[in-house]
Amino acid sequence: MTDTLVVDGGRTAGAPPAARRSWAWLGVLPFFAFLFLFLIVPALSVFWNAFDTKKGFSFSAMGEAFSGQNLDAFWFSVRFSAGSAAVGVVFGTLLAYAAATATRPRWLRNTVTSFSGVAANMGGLPLAFMFLALIGKQGVLTKVLKGLGWDLYSGDFELGSVPGLITVYSYFNIPLMVLITLPAIDGLKPAWREACANLGGTSFTFWRRIGLPVLAPSLLGGFLLLFANSFSAYATAAVLTDNSMIVSRRIGFFLGGDVSIGENAVGFSLAAWMIIIMAVSMGLYWVARQRAERWQS
Amino acid sequence: MSLAGLDDPLNEGPPTAPTALAPAPVGRPNNSFARLVPNVVLIVAALFFILPLLALARFAMQKVPTVLWDWDTLFDKWSLKPLAVAFGEPEFWPAFRLSLKLAAGTVLLTMLLLLPTAIWVHLRIPRMRPVIEFVTVLPYMIPAIALVAGIKLVKPHARWFLNSDLSLIPFYVVLALPFTYRSIDAGLRAIDLRTLVDASRSLGSGWLSTIGRVLIPNLRTAIISAAFLTAAVVMGEYTIARLLLIDSLPPYQRILVGTDTQAGFGLNLLALLGTTSLFVFVSVLTKKRDRKRKSFAYAATQLAASQEPSPA
Amino acid sequence: MTTLDFISVRKTFGTTVALHSFDLDVREGELITLLGPSGCGKTTALRIAAGFEFADSGAVLVGGADITRTVAHKRNMGMVFQSYSLFPNLTVAKNVEFGLRTRNVAPVERHHRVAEMLELVQLTPFADRYPHQISGGQAQRVALARALAVQPRVLLLDEPLSALDAKVRTTLRDEIRRIQTEVGITTLFVTHDQEEALAISDRICVMSQGQVEQLGTPTEVYRTPTTAFVARFVGSMNEFRAEVTGPGEVAVAGSRLGAPGAIGFVTGTTLSMLVRPEDLSLGDGGLLGTVTSVTFQGATTLIGVRVDVFDQLVSADIGQGAADHLQMGDRVSVLINGANAVCEPA
Repeated sequence: MTDTLVVDGGRTAGAPPAARRSWAWLGVLPFFAFLFLFLIVPALSVFWNAFDTKKGFSFSAMGEAFSGQNLDAFWFSVRFSAGSAAVGVVFGTLLAYAAATATRPRWLRNTVTSFSGVAANMGGLPLAFMFLALIGKQGVLTKVLKGLGWDLYSGDFELGSVPGLITVYSYFNIPLMVLITLPAIDGLKPAWREACANLGGTSFTFWRRIGLPVLAPSLLGGFLLLFANSFSAYATAAVLTDNSMIVSRRIGFFLGGDVSIGENAVGFSLAAWMIIIMAVSMGLYWVARQRAERWQS
Repeated sequence: MSLAGLDDPLNEGPPTAPTALAPAPVGRPNNSFARLVPNVVLIVAALFFILPLLALARFAMQKVPTVLWDWDTLFDKWSLKPLAVAFGEPEFWPAFRLSLKLAAGTVLLTMLLLLPTAIWVHLRIPRMRPVIEFVTVLPYMIPAIALVAGIKLVKPHARWFLNSDLSLIPFYVVLALPFTYRSIDAGLRAIDLRTLVDASRSLGSGWLSTIGRVLIPNLRTAIISAAFLTAAVVMGEYTIARLLLIDSLPPYQRILVGTDTQAGFGLNLLALLGTTSLFVFVSVLTKKRDRKRKSFAYAATQLAASQEPSPA
Repeated sequence: MTTLDFISVRKTFGTTVALHSFDLDVREGELITLLGPSGCGKTTALRIAAGFEFADSGAVLVGGADITRTVAHKRNMGMVFQSYSLFPNLTVAKNVEFGLRTRNVAPVERHHRVAEMLELVQLTPFADRYPHQISGGQAQRVALARALAVQPRVLLLDEPLSALDAKVRTTLRDEIRRIQTEVGITTLFVTHDQEEALAISDRICVMSQGQVEQLGTPTEVYRTPTTAFVARFVGSMNEFRAEVTGPGEVAVAGSRLGAPGAIGFVTGTTLSMLVRPEDLSLGDGGLLGTVTSVTFQGATTLIGVRVDVFDQLVSADIGQGAADHLQMGDRVSVLINGANAVCEPA
């Protein structure tokens, strides 16, 4: 597909290239203006407030937002997000591999992909209630496990703890990983496997020297995406627990009160830090994805 | 909201089942042990994904308290009635209607904004496509919780606009952007846009007519998919609504659990089934479109090839 | 002695019989092509040799040793696949080196060998490129280098040229033949392109529906096809309705001509007679027809003639001189030389 087709419907075919190009940009102006107004402006005001600009420029709020209890919260959130991402990557890849290599029954692969497409978007309230129903204090599985001798809540486990959140978030992280990884696994050409065997390599050789390296960008990208996904989730966490160590919840607490701009600079700083972390993760994800696609064509 | 709109490197659109062309499986396990592992994984996965759903259903529909719940009471007192309780509550209908209005408004605004933009980009500045694609990742960099912080700050400066509940709509458009842009982009790539436009224009049709009578009917699947996905996103959006104190459906879903647990669970179950069916529907639609597209694309290239030298 | 032998190899996939009872002896240093349409079993035979499929019954021997049940990665054969077989995450040099690494060859020797191989396929400057940075033809040369680097006993090629452009195909096939003779390696080549097979093979094994139709040199297979399938598949054929009028004699639209291929058929039988374009000539007393096309090919001219009596298109390869002034629409008389014709019941 050529991208030298910077020709329009023939109307200004005689116009000099520079003029043609700048005219074309105008067409996307409404779109960019819209994004600017409703996405960039709010984001910028968060940063504006985080830097306490009313009183002149100051890093103090940003600093405070990254120390003490707030720092503990960031660390906690990074832990459960990374943990959740790791679980998602491992099980998602396994599931994708199982689905990709299953030849009978024939509906299996399609079922897994369809289901993943749906489950990956299941976040929010119903997810929280599902798990409250399953392993909450009154949950059905909790009861069953107690009957089998394992009291989930004997220690300080709660749904808002790291293991709890990892479990709940896996519900959408694993399918999301499946969706990312399936095309990558499909992209592993059979000829590579056969060529490897032909040259004297075993299964292990293949995965070690070709399979995993080729999958690596997808796996890394998947990790980053899942991390970002878990870190920024709010709704599910809000219903599951009161734990203020979850950064998104923390921001919610700050915002829940009255917006008194000066005093809540810390709250906005928290939001600003979250934006920074998300921007970095998603940026790296984007790079990883470009790499992965290169090997899939 | 999850980041699922980004996952598909094949750019086929939002996370729906990629068309399974059943490629030759790589490294298919040869011995029986290795064949066992994938099967075990599948079974465990199936359990993990179904059990929470069943648990929710049980809490929603079975009037047996957990303390008394046991093998003998397993099938007692199941009833669909608690699901209907929500519909009788006074606050439900306004909340539901508001969410519907928000969804409809978001879909409309999305189409008005995205369709012309996407068509324009595809036709005039294909080079910009990667840039636009990146731009659609932006909403993920500014997650809902951070966005709402910004909105709260901006609100006092635009009171006349932001006081209405419907002021949420543009922000929902932003939130749904990754899904909707991908959907429409996939639709545009599935049709031979250039040829259709040139054919239509050469037959005397103006731009608006071309868009309305040629492009939109051919983009039906993409538009419907985008609409359904948007609806699913809006109907389930909790974060912004809650923090801006908007009385849409999701905040009510939570409130109801507080007042009448079983009815609340029932409502959440229904909401889950509702959004799920929207996604399933989209998935079915896009699979049908992709299967048809293969023959359309072939026919289109035959037609194009017969008229001019094929582009390099 | 690196010979490759198939002995009564049989393979079924479900209800389809891919190979009935396949026998083939590939002599040392020889290049044999398995030629046939898709589904004829040629690829199956190759994959059984490579170890990616296992024969249901029968045996495969390399240098006399039975490898029928040996697992693929222990067979020490080189294989070139149809396309996309280079490992995308490794450079050209590292691809070529791969087999040497799995055999734990020392680094110094590895580098030496890789350089040697790249020199052989004339891709030395590309050593540090990645597969996505080179063309299809270059990729296949790298694949060849990679396969030969480990000095395998047998070289297997699975339609290596099918995915390439026409021009690259011809140059590369000559390259492959040159390298194969230079190295002297026993080679099994699979293709559906008969022109390819004729150009590079020592012997050709024409296959159809899991059976061997004919095994012979290119000349034998072309000039003296033993079955109608081979006659049609290799080169092009004209088909005439003929009646047997005597031993080795047939009549085509009334005129009699000698046809050794008709020996053995009872007088009066109607036959389908297959005649090569070069066995048709222009001259008086033959089948009358109208010229529909004239294609100058240099040494010969290919003319299409719509023969009146059969209303059928035939092509005749006419030597220079005879066709000099022919134009579309001219009336001509076509003579048939039945000496090499293949006959089968109509």
